[in-house]
Amino acid sequence: MALPPLISRLRLSVGTKNVLHAPSEVAVYADDPARIGRRRPDAVVFPESPRQVAEIVRACCEYGVHVMARGAGTALPGGCVALGGGVVVVLTRMNRILEVDLPNRMAVVEAGVSAAQLARRLAETGYEYAPDPYGHGASTLGGEVATSAVGRHALRHGLGAATAVGLEVVLADGSIVQLGPVEDPTSFDLLGVLAGSDGTLGIVTKAWLRLTAEPKDPRVLRAVFDSLESAATAVGRIVAAGLMPVVMELIDQGLLAAVENAFECGFPPDAAAILLIEIQGPPVGLDAQQERIGALCREMGAREVLPTASDEVREMLWKCRKQALGTVGRLSPNCLIHDGAVPWSRLSELFRRIAQIGARHGIRIVHLAHAADGGIHPILLFDRRDPRQAGRAAAASREILEACIACGGGMTAGYGVGIEKAALMPRLRGPEDMEAMRNVRGAFDPVGWLSAGKRIASAENRS
Amino acid sequence: MRTDTKPLPLVETACPTTEGELAEVVRRARAEGTPVYPIGGGTALDYGGIPTRPGVGLSLAGLNRVLDYAADDMTITVEPGLTLAELRDTLAPRGQRLPIDVAEPDRMTIGGIAAMNRAGPRRYGCGTMRDYALGLRAVDGEGTAFSAGGQVPKRTAGYHLSRLLVGSLGTLGIITRLTLRIRPRPETSAVAIAEVESFEAAESLLTSLPKSRVAPTALELLAGPVANQWAALGPMRPGGVARMFVGLEGTDDEVAWMVETLRLQWREFPIAASTVISGTGAGPTGDWLLALPADVAIHVLPRDTVKLMGRLFAALPQVSLQADVGNGEIRLHLADRRPEAFARAVRDVLRPTIEPFGGRMVVLHPGDECAALLSPRDLWGPPPAGHAVMRAIKDRFDPQGILNPGRSIFANR
Repeated sequence: MALPPLISRLRLSVGTKNVLHAPSEVAVYADDPARIGRRRPDAVVFPESPRQVAEIVRACCEYGVHVMARGAGTALPGGCVALGGGVVVVLTRMNRILEVDLPNRMAVVEAGVSAAQLARRLAETGYEYAPDPYGHGASTLGGEVATSAVGRHALRHGLGAATAVGLEVVLADGSIVQLGPVEDPTSFDLLGVLAGSDGTLGIVTKAWLRLTAEPKDPRVLRAVFDSLESAATAVGRIVAAGLMPVVMELIDQGLLAAVENAFECGFPPDAAAILLIEIQGPPVGLDAQQERIGALCREMGAREVLPTASDEVREMLWKCRKQALGTVGRLSPNCLIHDGAVPWSRLSELFRRIAQIGARHGIRIVHLAHAADGGIHPILLFDRRDPRQAGRAAAASREILEACIACGGGMTAGYGVGIEKAALMPRLRGPEDMEAMRNVRGAFDPVGWLSAGKRIASAENRS
Repeated sequence: MRTDTKPLPLVETACPTTEGELAEVVRRARAEGTPVYPIGGGTALDYGGIPTRPGVGLSLAGLNRVLDYAADDMTITVEPGLTLAELRDTLAPRGQRLPIDVAEPDRMTIGGIAAMNRAGPRRYGCGTMRDYALGLRAVDGEGTAFSAGGQVPKRTAGYHLSRLLVGSLGTLGIITRLTLRIRPRPETSAVAIAEVESFEAAESLLTSLPKSRVAPTALELLAGPVANQWAALGPMRPGGVARMFVGLEGTDDEVAWMVETLRLQWREFPIAASTVISGTGAGPTGDWLLALPADVAIHVLPRDTVKLMGRLFAALPQVSLQADVGNGEIRLHLADRRPEAFARAVRDVLRPTIEPFGGRMVVLHPGDECAALLSPRDLWGPPPAGHAVMRAIKDRFDPQGILNPGRSIFANR
């Protein structure tokens, strides 16, 4: 590979200090939060404008080198690791909030702006960016669009893909295209297909994000259950009753213990499962919603259903929830975070199956579920130093995917598809479906320069 | 220029009853290089112009079943030929709905609604078909059937192909099955109507709305003859220019609170008159808000909507305008129906007027004679951003260019 000339070219585009090339410098970008991949990129570049991103892409194409975009590196399933070398383009320097346009209900941001940064800017405006996913604080908005991260509010406000009304994208040929923010009925929904494309169709450099009115009197209920399955059944009943909480977070005892240990939220340690439910709406309707939800939870044996007492308690509860995954380190040195979704009516059955899978493979599994959108995150705990454990965890993970499919759902990609799941894609999709997706990818990136191997394991990149 | 006759140049019409049969029709057509024109309810066969290449009509009337209704999971899987009215009848007993408004629910089919990404006033509060299509199956221009999306609300791994197919006007694939996310029906609805004497007054009313904490389901501004259309309301007072319709849905208590809140807030504004109409019959769940037979749909940024309406109102005599002001969509009906006048209005008034706003516009029902006077650029606008990628997508899904030719920016009529 003709590296030095490419490095010189990259340095010309972004400046010498914005190109990392030495092995020791790029090593940290070989890693990702779940420590799935350990592949070192050939160079890491920090552009500060879309024009620079375009130059980088063009230069890499000329020298036959793959390119991969990276935000803050929070995408869990190996989303931010360059397969087989190549150049990693880190967008975090492009972190300006360009405009908060309330009359148009939009925030215009560079891709490297973090959700926390935007939330701070929107405080007191009466508006929020609803998706607010769990990378909150660290993850970049460009990354969230690319992985279609959903988080809270999915049930009520729609999925992550619906919230970018405009995107500026650098395509594989180095062209810069602005889609939106004016809607175009004559166009295919390229915005919709770019969202959740894991950087394989283009590199997002700017986003026009739809803002929604901040709820004035949100209310959080905490329901304590004596079994995970009864909590899951309660979720199904709440949805079937036509109630639409904006958030329903389900945490099992194993994860609760770690969270309590870390943050002392006041979660009862003997609870088998806790359901945190946030409801919104005009104040006059909240009491009725609370009553109905409370009744449904109690029918499923909830031992208590309490509204949270104050704003601070509510914020603390959400803080514990958002940082729950970070506490897993207290439980085991390594973990595999699964990403699945099933219809609500099958949630309880799925938890039962997963318990059996864990027992069969001798792997401890704890649970976090974003139940409002039917998304589940079984977390498999193991110690990588014991290769047999690691092997059993991998086997259990595959069986969990089969269980999701058996329950009418599948593997999701709230954290991005990345390397880990790309190899499993053919299990979910037939050959014609894969062909259709390859057609889309080929239209955007005929040669395959961007995020090679990430979303669809193409033949030359399977490894 | 809406036409009720079938304008398509058909040599024959096929009416398959299975996906396999449909795929076979497409394969045969592809082998001969013959265009295929999907036909749903037949209400938009002249959308954007009338195709000229003779081809095979592909009626979806034979694929019209409800395949799976998982009411507890709020999803339903249907075939594309099912009408919206039939879908509503299926969902209503369980107190559920698909909150998409269309002008002719008895004719318009789910497949057609999806292919056009149709939406009505409740789009403001509830979204479009792209938000409700969880997954689908389609047959591409090679006759190959494929799946996109999934069965659950959370996105399943893979590209959002279903979002690409929805709104693609049958030019990338013909939908053979759709899984839809559905919602609970609200307990009740009401419409609060304010009459204003200027577009500036409408503007200030809109600006104040977020402060009220009322979250409307629909937010429509009507001006011109269409604003005087409803017998229940009577015509506007002298000096009245436009009527704002605020659609409200929820429980009885919630709607009552919203109505009262708006009533109090509107006391502070220069409103000539205001009314509230309550009850499920007449609110946004009814179809009368869609009464405008639109010739043209224009999209701009929400903030520019009222200003542009003012300009169009001044430039075109007796024009009727209906806008979803929250989303920046203006639908328009021209008074002068003569083809030359219509074409002139499109080319010499509408296009130049929307251009400074970065507006996008489609001529919905130009009719034969008028379409002959207009170029594809007049009908569809200049090539949109990303059109090179769209062209590439089109070429891969339909290499022979047989799916609904002429029905898009790639107007190879």
